[in-house]
Amino acid sequence: MKDCTPGRIGNEAMNSIAYIIIQLIVTLLAAPLVGGLIKKVKALTQKRKGAPVLQMYFDLYKLLQKTSVVSEVSSWIYKAAPYIVFATALAGALLVPVSTKIVPVLIPGDFIMLVSILALGRFFMMAAALDTASTFGGMGSSREAMISSLIEPSILVALFTVGLLSGSTSLPRMMQTVQVTGFPLAHPVYMMVGLALLIIIIAETSRIPVDDPSTHLELTMVHEAMILEYSGRHLALLEYGAAVKQLVFITLFVNLFIPHDQLIPFMGFGAVILSLLLYLLKVVLMAVVIALIEVNTVKFKLFSIPNLAALSFILAFLGILQFFILGGYHV
Amino acid sequence: MSENLLETLSVLILLSSFVLMANKRISSYIKSFRIQSLLIALAAGVMGVRSLLDEGRWDIMIVCILIVVLKVIYIPGLLNRTYASVRYKVEKDFILNIPILVLVCCGLVVFSYFTLATIDGSSQGMSNMQLVNSVSVIWIGLFFMISRKKALGQIIGFLVIENGLYITAMLATQGMPFIVDLGIFIDLVTFVLIMGMLTFRMNDQFDSIDTDQLNNLKG
Repeated sequence: MKDCTPGRIGNEAMNSIAYIIIQLIVTLLAAPLVGGLIKKVKALTQKRKGAPVLQMYFDLYKLLQKTSVVSEVSSWIYKAAPYIVFATALAGALLVPVSTKIVPVLIPGDFIMLVSILALGRFFMMAAALDTASTFGGMGSSREAMISSLIEPSILVALFTVGLLSGSTSLPRMMQTVQVTGFPLAHPVYMMVGLALLIIIIAETSRIPVDDPSTHLELTMVHEAMILEYSGRHLALLEYGAAVKQLVFITLFVNLFIPHDQLIPFMGFGAVILSLLLYLLKVVLMAVVIALIEVNTVKFKLFSIPNLAALSFILAFLGILQFFILGGYHV
Repeated sequence: MSENLLETLSVLILLSSFVLMANKRISSYIKSFRIQSLLIALAAGVMGVRSLLDEGRWDIMIVCILIVVLKVIYIPGLLNRTYASVRYKVEKDFILNIPILVLVCCGLVVFSYFTLATIDGSSQGMSNMQLVNSVSVIWIGLFFMISRKKALGQIIGFLVIENGLYITAMLATQGMPFIVDLGIFIDLVTFVLIMGMLTFRMNDQFDSIDTDQLNNLKG
């Protein structure tokens, strides 16, 4: 982007900008859908009719119409946190390509950056929950701090393993390597890392064994306790940010472990559309899988969460160990 | 294809011993042991089909059926019956907490990787990976045995050591002589019968199968 006069922008830069826009639109539009799908599948397994799949869009629209009430003892952190959380979720979404046909070359960055960006958002969310000195906020942020510090090592180890296999820490490169691997989940290293990432997704997106997203019960809530004080526009941004973050993790999983782009032989605009449709199909599948896991497990008590975190760390660690035992050769 | 299946199975067997180490209740020890034996039977089945197609040998298939009958059905059933007839006050019977035990197991896998990496004849790649995984199962079984206080947990630990030895021998030699397999099985059944009987006796005498209480017998 050295030369910004119209008509002089290179074809590649134009493509990148188009890809960034496509990426943002897909992520923003699809993110609330995932939550709706998970709720719908859960309702159907319980023989209920459930809320419509698009319920979260209506909720966000309604919340955006309302004014937000801000406590007068709160500081700037309280007002800035929703924007920061939403912005970090969006930045995370830009780092994880929704499809390897769409890789914005303008954005450098790798998974370490992704993890740190999401950690920044989480930090501000915890700080904001402490800010108004409500009892639930403090409780929620202390729980969140515990869970995130337990889960973070396994994210890093799991992604490092895939990075070692592909020889690069950049997420698009990792996904492009997986495209030629065949069926990755049959490979021992990928299998371990995939299982670890599944646990990480569940813990990071506040799903049932770790946190119950649908209740406001004092004993169980973690994420909900932190955003209990918010209302109106701020609440909408926080909910939307959480949905985008959930989609980021699901995208990471499906694109690393269920590659689809080798099915599309031709290049060009049609390939991009087809690739995006396949991507959405995979996200829907993953949402159904997460819903089924959620239906079939019970909420763990808080002090059992270290066991789950240890399990995901061990899976990731065994993955990296199998990589070294295999002699570090590329699949 | 069969190599790929075997390597995946060997990783799953290793994982099942981690799951066993993370279990809290004796009924779930027995369940995990049953799953591990089922995975070993699958590995034997894969090798058996391969040797049947390549060389026309039936013995590994028979071994596979024996594993299913003994380790998947008979021994877990026997342990379940022993467990049902033993009175328990407290189920928690491990010496450290679960995450630490499991992290130590990670260390054991690293240890066996470093000890086996330099062995001549175990080349880089698949066979080495299967060897490291199955030797790690032996170590984890041993560690399971010393980390549990109740007699039933220690029996399961021994059985896991035996599973590890068996899968090591099977993956390293591509099928042992049939008579050796039979000998191992007969040993195993005898061991489990004797240990089950001893557990009954301990329960009769001490009203508990906590082996720590055997220390009271010291003069």
